[in-house]
Order: sequence, then structure tokens, then C-alpha cells
Amino acid sequence: MKKIYLHPIPVRVWHWVNALSFIVLIITGVQIRYHELLGLTKFETAVDIHNIFGFILIFNFFIWVVYYFFTGKIKIYIPPLRIKKFVLGSMRQARYYGYGLFMGDENPHHPSPDNKFNPMQQIAYLSIMLLLIPLQLVSGLFLWDIKMFEEWINLAGGIKIVDTIHVFLFLFFSSFIFVHVYLATLGHTPMAHIKAMVTGYEEEEEHEPASA
Amino acid sequence: MFDDTAEQISGKKVLLVLLGPIFGVFYIALLPLIVFMTLLVALPEIAQARKAAIVENAPLCMTCHSSHGLVKVFKNKEKLSVFVNASDFRGSVHSMLSCTDCHQNISMASHPGRVFDSKKAFALDTSKACRTCHTDAQLRARPIHAYLTNRTHGPPCSQCHGAHTVKRLSEWKPAKADNQYCLTCHQENMTKTMNNGETLSLSVDPDDLQASVHTSHVCSDCHNAFSRSSHPVKEFESIREHSIAVSGVCNQCHADKHRAVESSIHYTMMIEGNRDAPVCTDCHGFHDVSQKATYNTLSGVPCRKCHENVFEVYEQSVHGMARLEGQHKAPLCFSCHVAHEVTATAMTKKLKGACLGCHTEAEDLHDAWLPNSQLHLSMVACAACHSPDSQRGIFLRLYDENTGEPFTAEQIVNILGIEYEGLSERIDPHGDGIDSYELWDIVKQLNKEGADAKVTFLGRMDTRTITEAHQLSNKKDAVRKCESCHHADADFFKTVTVAVVRADGRVTQYKADPEVLGSMTSLLSLRQFYVLGSTRLKILDWLGILMVFGGMAVPIGHITLRILTSPIREARRMNKLRKGGRR
Repeated sequence: MKKIYLHPIPVRVWHWVNALSFIVLIITGVQIRYHELLGLTKFETAVDIHNIFGFILIFNFFIWVVYYFFTGKIKIYIPPLRIKKFVLGSMRQARYYGYGLFMGDENPHHPSPDNKFNPMQQIAYLSIMLLLIPLQLVSGLFLWDIKMFEEWINLAGGIKIVDTIHVFLFLFFSSFIFVHVYLATLGHTPMAHIKAMVTGYEEEEEHEPASA
Repeated sequence: MFDDTAEQISGKKVLLVLLGPIFGVFYIALLPLIVFMTLLVALPEIAQARKAAIVENAPLCMTCHSSHGLVKVFKNKEKLSVFVNASDFRGSVHSMLSCTDCHQNISMASHPGRVFDSKKAFALDTSKACRTCHTDAQLRARPIHAYLTNRTHGPPCSQCHGAHTVKRLSEWKPAKADNQYCLTCHQENMTKTMNNGETLSLSVDPDDLQASVHTSHVCSDCHNAFSRSSHPVKEFESIREHSIAVSGVCNQCHADKHRAVESSIHYTMMIEGNRDAPVCTDCHGFHDVSQKATYNTLSGVPCRKCHENVFEVYEQSVHGMARLEGQHKAPLCFSCHVAHEVTATAMTKKLKGACLGCHTEAEDLHDAWLPNSQLHLSMVACAACHSPDSQRGIFLRLYDENTGEPFTAEQIVNILGIEYEGLSERIDPHGDGIDSYELWDIVKQLNKEGADAKVTFLGRMDTRTITEAHQLSNKKDAVRKCESCHHADADFFKTVTVAVVRADGRVTQYKADPEVLGSMTSLLSLRQFYVLGSTRLKILDWLGILMVFGGMAVPIGHITLRILTSPIREARRMNKLRKGGRR
């Protein structure tokens, strides 16, 4: 069993702050929008909590930006630029999840600090981190003080458009979390990836020679 | 010597010079005395001659009619004293007539005993006698008489001229001060019949004039066509037309108020042909125009005459109650709506300004607890929260995003190239309420190519009726719970109205299907209207359910497949182990 130091401390802090914020934002979000489904706190308390965690998430996003861009590690998010390589890599990964895993095959992707994500993760996380999260943060910020951001909202096409974007992404992230957590349990033991996100060290089974 | 003679001569001359004028003065002074003496001698003779004429049959009549107690009872039980004051009669212009000159049908055989229905019937009958001397030609010379003589039910002569006290015109009217001159007739119970048959009272109560703010004016200041020498006979279609015409006069002095009125909704209604729209006299009265302060009271505010239903609600409101308790600063109608330039309430900026004008601390107080308070204050009418018992609704209004101003009915008509009358057909083509596609269609039509406006709907929350907007209550009862509105089932969102505002602020309302708020097309037509939790897109909610369940289905499905395929993996593992063992 070898240990790889996969998640440096800033990444781990960022990840768990993100996780907590997402959960709080989703729960308060459900209460704010679907008041008839959930009434954990007073409406205004839910709004206040949602706002606070919204700003935490914005701040947290900048931790991610600063860390990944200033260390240059952002390259781990960039999928292979050659289409063929990317498509083949993705297909290999998809084949694993859809077939190989059931057959007991090994995960074709072996994470390392320099190559953390498989091509599917790369394209998914890159669009999430550089498109969907910023969009969610900005739309949330606009909705936080509609008067202050009036002109921006008009530029975006109107308050209903901004709200629809925010809600659509909220629904997307809510559903994504199920998949994300599930995929996190697909390490060599169900808790392996999750432990790694706490300790920073990913355990990987020692491999037998390639002849296997 | 020479000197003496000269002195004597001059002495005579002096005497002559002095005595001449003295005699002259005496003579002049004596002249009236002589006339007076002559008259003194002659008058009894003249008086006797007159008296002879008067009393020809008077002693007989006056035997009874000099007694105060004598009363005639008419069929309708009215009573008339038949006492005749002989000295009044002698002072009258008819003093040379005898009783039977006027009371022509009276003879010893038939008197007393003639029966009349009423006092008026008697007066009319007796007044016929006047016409024996006063010919039509003579009467018609004065317009007022000409007018009255043409009337079937004109007043009897005696109503203005009196019966036994008839005086020469020359000693009667001109002696009166301006208003008294007119009031001679106009304080009597007189009426005028309008062309449509309505009866307008022409009586003026002198007390009203005295109490009015116009007390120093004379009648002709307002009734300019009338004077001692001119009394034109005017014709009006109806009492209403008369009021409207008379109100034009106020402009003479109150031009500033008139200008203010010209920008009012009342004036607009009038020029558009609504003859019931209020004019000056409807609020201020005719002859009893009061001090400004009179209108500034609960009982004196004129608006209630027409807006009684609103006023009743207002009286029960926090403002009305405060007034009732004597708080003079509490607002009355005009405090918010302005006295003369009354505008339609749809110009909400103005109305909100009226609230904030007094409640200067309101913005800060809202800001202290209400998230996005400025947004709330601009989208929610004050009354929507502060009339907690009222029913509320959503009012969708067209705005031009380029200017930030309401897009008026006039602009709509202009863009669509239609007549105003055709507007409602374009907005609600089937007349069955506006559905989401029709709503979108409105926006599409107004934003068609070439139009320079960028039109969209803005939603505003308000009380459903104007009356309810006046039901303002104490602050502690105001809506404060967010869930009252931010809830899919909130009262507000069950009534949706498309309100088309005209330039003058008047609103035409079209019912809309509440579904429009959550329809897919609202993304296009109502992209500037969104209320947290309440205007949810139905389709997005369904998509959400699908996405979340989809997200859950991935792990569940995958785990299921893993369980189902575990024998395969087990077999492969065993196989591998076996292979390894063999090696």
C-alpha cells in the first residue's frame, strides 16, 4: 500500500468549506424557494444564512482561484488538448464506470499530484469551476441586492432570467452532489477517497507487475 | 364843507350798498317760506281729493279688513291674514285705486265666500287684475317680465311687488345696495325650468352670502352679464350644464387654481365628455363658498360627496381615526391627492411620495429589518402591507426600459397604429382574460422591429381595489411576515391584472390568468418581474424534481448493477487466484 500526497492543505480546506457551504446553501435555498416543503427556520433567518454562506462561497472560490492559478496547478483541470486523446481517455473512463467496474477491472486512471483527474473529471470540474460556480456566485450576488445590481441585472436580461439561472444551477448542483458523493466512494475502499480529502494522502494498492 | 357834503353823499351810498343785499337775502329766504305756506294751504285740498278717490269704497271694506284677527283659510289649510294696513296702502303707488279696482270680482253679494285652493292660487287669481292696467307691451319692456309672462307657471306679480305695498320702481329698487337689489327677487322662492324639464332654484339665501368667503363681492362680480340695466334670460339644457357654465366664472379670480385643475383627472374627464366630472361648484358650492379651513375637516371635505365609499373606509383607517381624535396633522384626502390637481392613483411615484412626505423615517425603518428594502418599497404599494385586511393582487404594467417610464396607452396605440377604442381587443383578444401567450404577444407587438422603445412588464403588488388602499391601519398590524408574500400560495398571486396606464394616470384593467406568472413564456414577457418563492416557473420546478431524482438514480442504479454483477467479479477473482496459485 503506497501513499500519495494528493490533496495539499489549501485544497482540503477549500473543499470542505465548499462542501459545508453547498449543503447549507442547498437546504436554505430549498426553504427559501419551496417554503411549503421546508420550514426549519424563519424565512428571514433562512435568507440571512443563505446570504452569509453565499459570501463564504464567494470568498472560498477566490482561495481556489489564487491557489490553482498562482501555483500553476490549474493545469490538472485542463483536459487533453488533443481531441483524440481526450475522447479516447474519456471513453476509457466511461467504459470503466459502465462496464469495467462491474467486471472487477482496475480504474484506468491513477491519480497523482500532477495528474489528479481523469479526462471526464477534468472537463466536468473545469466547466463547474470556471463557468457554473462563477455564474452561480454572480447570479446569487445580484439577487442579494437587486437594487444595487439593477443595471447588471438588466444587462443579463432581467431579474427573472437571473433567478432562473440561479435556480437551474441550484438544481444542477443539488443533483450533482449525489453523483459526486457516490463517485467518492468508488476508491479501493468506500472511504478511501473521503479519507484522502481529510488527510491529504490517497492510499493506493501496490500493483503487481503489468503481466497481471 | 366840501368834505362834509362828500361825507353825506358817501353815507347814503354805503347804506344803499349794505341794505340791498340784506333785502335780497331776506327775499330768497322768504321764497321757500312762501311756497311752503302756499302748499300748506293747498295740500289738504289735494290730499282730500286723493283720499276721496281711495276711500270711495274703502270705508266699507276697511270695516272688516282693518282688523288684525281676520284670516282666510284655503282648501289646503293654508291661512292668510286679510288685514290691510291702510297707511302702507296710502304709501303705495296704487294709493289712488279703490279696493275693487284690483279685487274685481268682489261684490257684496259674493263676499266673503270665494274659495281658493291655496295661497298661491289666490295670489295668481288676484294678480290677473294687474294686467288690466299693465299691458303685455309694458311688461315685455323688461326682460325678466317678458320671460315670466311667457311661463305657464310664472310667479304671481305680488310675489315680487307685494300686494298692498306696491311701490313705484323709482323709489324701490335703486335705493337698495347692490346685493339687496338682486335679492329683492332672488331671496324669494323662485325657480327656473331647464330645457330638460329640471327645476333649478334661483333662490339665494342671504345668510349663505353673508357667511361665505365672498361676502364682500357683489352679485355681478360673478354673474357678470347681469346688472341693474341688464337681466338676460339664459337657457340651459340641464341643471348640470348650468353648474358647469357657472364654474367658468371662478377662473376670473382663481386662475392659478384653474390651471392646477387643468392637470387634474377631474378636468380630463370633463373635457372627454363626462359632464358629471366635478367642477368648482361641486366642491365649493355656489353662494356659500367657505373659508379654506372649512374644507380641511372630516365633515367639510368635499371629496366624500362622490367618493363616499372610499371615505367610509378612510374614516375607519388610522388616518381617519387620528383626525377624529383631533390630530389636525393627520392626512385628509387632499394631503395625498392634492386639492386641485387631483391625479389618478396610478402615478404611484407621486402617491408613495405622499406617504413618505410625512413618514420621513419610513425608509430607514424599513431598511432596518426588511432585506432589499428599497426594492420592496418600489415594487410594493404602501397599502399592500399597511392595509392588512385588504385583498391584494399583482398589477402588471408596461414600462419602457430605455426611459424607465411607464409605457402609456397612448404610446401603445401609436406603435400598434390603431385607434384607442381598438386597444382592448388587442390586449385581450378574446375578452376572457389574458393568458400567457397573449401576454407575450403584447410584448412582442410592442417590441416589433423599428420601434424605439424597449417595452416590458413590471409587476407591482397592490390592494385589489382603490377603496382597500385607504384601509390603512396601525403600523403594528402591518404585514411583516415574509411568508405572507414569498409563498406559492400567497394571496397576492391569485389575482393578476394587466393595468394599462394612460398619460394622465388613469388605468384600464384587464384580468389576466394567474398562471402567467409561472408560465414558460413569462421568461420573455415578465423577465423583469420575479418574487422569491411565488412566481416560480412551473417547468423549472418539474425539471428540478427530474434532476434531483436523476442525481439520486445514478448511485442507486450503479449500486444495483454492482450488486447484480458481484458474482461475475467474484468468479473472476477466484479465477485469478487460481491462476496465481497454479503459477
